[in-house]
Amino acid sequence: MSRLHDMGGRFGNGPIPLYKNENNKVEDNEPTFKYDWHAKAWAVTLAAGALGQWNLDISRHYRECLPPKDYMNFSYYEKWLAALTNLLVDKKLVSLDEIKKFVDLAKTNNLDPELIKNIKLDQRTWLAKDVQKTLGWGGPSLRSTKNEPIYKIGDNIITLKHNPNKDVKGGHTRLPTYAMGKIGKVYSYNGSHVLPDTNAHGNGETPTPLYTVEFKAMELWGASAENENDLVYLDLWQPYFTLNT
Amino acid sequence: MNSKENNHSHHDHEHDHAHSHLPSDPELRVKAIETLLLSKGLIDPNTLDELIDTYENNIGPQNGAKVVAKAWVDKDYKKRLLENATSAIRELSYQGRQGENMVVVENTPEIHNVVVCTLCSCYPWPVLGIPPTWYKSDEYRSRAVREPRKVLSEFGLNIDPKVQIKVWDSTAELRYLVLPMRPFGSENMNEAELAELVTRNSMIGTGLPENVK
Repeated sequence: MSRLHDMGGRFGNGPIPLYKNENNKVEDNEPTFKYDWHAKAWAVTLAAGALGQWNLDISRHYRECLPPKDYMNFSYYEKWLAALTNLLVDKKLVSLDEIKKFVDLAKTNNLDPELIKNIKLDQRTWLAKDVQKTLGWGGPSLRSTKNEPIYKIGDNIITLKHNPNKDVKGGHTRLPTYAMGKIGKVYSYNGSHVLPDTNAHGNGETPTPLYTVEFKAMELWGASAENENDLVYLDLWQPYFTLNT
Repeated sequence: MNSKENNHSHHDHEHDHAHSHLPSDPELRVKAIETLLLSKGLIDPNTLDELIDTYENNIGPQNGAKVVAKAWVDKDYKKRLLENATSAIRELSYQGRQGENMVVVENTPEIHNVVVCTLCSCYPWPVLGIPPTWYKSDEYRSRAVREPRKVLSEFGLNIDPKVQIKVWDSTAELRYLVLPMRPFGSENMNEAELAELVTRNSMIGTGLPENVK
């Protein structure tokens, strides 16, 4: 079974939330950040991530592990902020008491600018002068290994019927439920990449061959597929499927 | 990262989630966390400004538009772009965070490509910037894989039933960019003029480039 974030193919969601102009044309010029607090929530999350206490897969899993009622009620950046708060405490960068103290100060309008005046930066802190350099490097997940891919392009495969994460119950994986137990075809091979299923739990990068796999819409959705010729592609790690013989 | 967690998923079983202590007003929530981290020297206020300024002004769909326009006028570049998108995009100095491994998929009269991330909000930052709200919405994430034609029609894009739709669900760290078809009547336009026609949505597959006026 899965978590709420795993929503591909789910029924019940309404129209895409789009803004239309007076000619009923979809507006395609939404600003980068709609509100200042969106920009701040995003930037604080990136800057805190740069302290090196967690990786991208861990932060994704923290968002997925928010209680279902919060996951559904929170807007996008509220999820980021909630997951960040839990990470900061779990990874001991701040204490729960400190969170409570600063929340009280914020609620009573007592976040005095003196609190952040002449602060000595932590050794690990991401400096403004390094921002462009770090963004340019990014965080590649491709690893050079001696792993040879065991499947080849064109192979017929079938995905696992259940969450591939065998080490952790309800653990992180990138095989969506809608593509479990489905027959597909290997479309391309992309080298060995960090395996989120282990990396999200601090259990190592485990570089593993990654493929792009092609599925027929009819295989995924049966009679409710919109068009018999349509295709869906997913990027799947080698342990997510076996040969369909 | 530091501890092995084998039997259950980290804080599932804790009753006292740190985030449940946050105030209900999201603006106050951010302010509290930001000020706490600043007071401990764990974030540099100049870094926050630099990040926000970079993505508001330098990294966005205008970058992807230049990639697309170049591919429209330069056959060799288009070939490199489709064969190794990461290095071809790096030729224009676009690279790095959330675009470390790029894939470009080409629209043709027979094939229409559309990109989604059903599990979260994966998106090619170096060429498109930060994703718009609809891309991150439950509606788009849940429906784009199952009923792409209906979804595209809500964007005003009606795809002929004879055209095949390919949906790319970004489940790993590969980031997808759609190469839309060059608009009719744009034969005499130069690269810079063509880039003006390329919309953000046309590079996600939920729109087309602007028509030639």
